[in-house]
This record gives sequence, structure tokens and C-alpha cells, in this order.
Amino acid sequence: MAAADIRNEPAVVRWFESAHLDELTPEEQTHRLALVADFCDHFGRPPGEVAAHALRTTKDGDTAISAKKRIALNDSIDEFVEKSGYTGKEAVINGNIIRSFLVHNGIFIQGRAWRG
Amino acid sequence: MGELLRVMGNRRSIRYFEPDKPVEREKIQIMLEAMNRSSRAVNADFVKTVVVFRDELDPDVLEQLKTPTTTAEVDMAPVHMFCYLDLTYTDGAQGRLKELVQLGALNPSHGWSEAYVDEVVWATVLKPISADPGILSYIGAIDAGVAINQGMLAAVDQGLGVCLHAFNTEVAKKALDIPDHWLPLHLLLVGYPAEDPLTGGQRPRRPLSTQCFVGNAHTPWEEIPEVTERLKQEGLIQDPVDAEKRRAEVRALAQRFGLPE
Repeated sequence: MAAADIRNEPAVVRWFESAHLDELTPEEQTHRLALVADFCDHFGRPPGEVAAHALRTTKDGDTAISAKKRIALNDSIDEFVEKSGYTGKEAVINGNIIRSFLVHNGIFIQGRAWRG
Repeated sequence: MGELLRVMGNRRSIRYFEPDKPVEREKIQIMLEAMNRSSRAVNADFVKTVVVFRDELDPDVLEQLKTPTTTAEVDMAPVHMFCYLDLTYTDGAQGRLKELVQLGALNPSHGWSEAYVDEVVWATVLKPISADPGILSYIGAIDAGVAINQGMLAAVDQGLGVCLHAFNTEVAKKALDIPDHWLPLHLLLVGYPAEDPLTGGQRPRRPLSTQCFVGNAHTPWEEIPEVTERLKQEGLIQDPVDAEKRRAEVRALAQRFGLPE
């Protein structure tokens, strides 16, 4: 998938609106979209399914986060960032851009903070 | 007069810390002693606190504490105070109560005596509390919360930022060698704020009339305007957050630390 392919996906639209990403420069927006698109390829699912992957429905019909799937998703982000060749601050930032997409779709998740 | 009110007014839940600005051990001791001076039933030490200076921790243990819901916090806060409720707090209570009777803190005017403590208090008060895990943790958690809050205010008074968090209790139990009779309460993160210590203004609170009553449970407390005004002047009540400015600050902080925006 390319950046433009996912821009109108509901989960991506939700992310952009919630995080006010329209305020960023076109280059910054494209970078974020491309990262999420590439991660979706890596994860083997479209954006909406990536976000939904860590969610589960309880026996009462409520939406909850699956701790195990969140761990798997988090590990997959780290793996993707490493595979993409990012290091140092770039690795932290880009991993957290993907986490931002998840966060704004209801997944409580944290990545590293850059301390350099 | 009024400094305590200003400290209470200045307290915020700080979530962005200067990760590499160490917190002086002296200031941590001040917090711990403030907790130690808190009001407490049966003069018990309800809270057991494990202070973790992040950068002194074994790297393997530090990694264990990083989970998908705690990583940014672990990275940013230089001091982590793991707070537990010691469920054995009724142990030794009779001795401590007797000491309070002897010191006149508990006195005959209110029905206290050594005889009551020696002969009656165990069966009447302490045993029922100890025998019911629900009551044991409920009573203990209240007094523990009082102590933790006192530590938090002492931290703010020392120019520090604090924030209470949930934590991965299983990981912490193993990593910090926590005994079985310590009930996990809170993780208190401590550090120097990387954000505006006042976070752009006070967070919303509902009026007293919606939660405080006089004489019965349905007659709202009516605020005395002069008192409200005085509290604004003395800093307990402060201007509310400007959401737009705050959003800009949060974005800048997220960019500085490479965190999700």
C-alpha cells in the first residue's frame, strides 16, 4: 500500500482528525501515511484491521484491549522499525508515529521516549 | 499563611518529566517523611514504598518494567515510587494504641484507656478488620491514600512534579521482590517537569454544590463568594487550562521526546 491508498480509510481519517495532523506540512503528512501504510504491509492487514487487532469483545459485549495482542502489535512495530533501518531518534519517532495511529483509534499503548 | 493552599493549587498530574535531570535523594526523603507524618488509624504504617531511581536499576529489571503501557513513563520519570498497602497493619496495633493512650493522644475524655486497649479492642475492632479481606483493604487503602497525597504535596512544595499511575503489578512484584502481603496501590512517578509545572492551568473541577452538602445529603453547600475570591488570590483556585495553548505545548513535548502526537 502507498500513502495515498490509505488516506481515506476510516481509521486513518479518524487518526488525522483526532491528532490534528492536517496542521502538519504536506511532507510530514505523507511521511506519516507512508509509515503506517508500510507497517500495514508488514503486519499483513489493512489499517482498520491493524487498529482493531488489539481490541476484543468481552462476554458482556463491551470493547476491551487484548493485552497479549497489544504486546504482539508493539513487538511488531519494533520489528518493523528495525527492519526499515531506522536507528536512534528516528527509530523512536517513527515507531511512535505508528503508535499514534493506534492511540487515536482507541489502543492505549506507549513506546520509548527519546532521551538523547 | 496560605503557602499550603498554593501548593495544593499548584499540584498537577505531571506526565512529561525531564528524563535526565536527577531528583535529589534529599527531596525524596522529604516526600517519604511527609507520608510518614500523615494521619493514620491505629498509628499503623499502612504504606510500604519502594523507591526506584531509574538509572540505578539493573538494566534487565528496567526492561522488565517497560510494558506496552508503561514504556514512555519509565523512560521519562527518573524516580518511581511503588506504593503498597501492607495488609499486616493490624499486627502490633494494640501496642501502638497503648502508646497513644500513654501519650495522651487517645484519652479518657473520648473513652480510651489502657484497659480498653488491653482487654477489648482486639475483639471489638481489630479482629473484625483483620478477618475480612475486603474491610482490611478498604480501610487500609483510605489511610494509604492520605499518606500518598501528603507525599505528593511535599514533592510539589520542593519544585518536583508527580503523577499517580497504575502499574504492572506482576512484573513489579517479581522485579522488586515484593512480599505477598503487600497489596499494590499506585506507582508514583517523580521528577522535574519537562512541561509547564502548572500545565497551562487547572483541570476542570465541579462546583462544591454538586458534591458537598450541609445538614443532610441533599442540601448543597452554598459557596461564600468572598472565600472563593480569597482562594483565588491565595492560589488554591487558579485559572483553567487554555486548551489551544496546551495542545501546542503537548505537540512540542511529543516532538521533543519523539512520542505519539
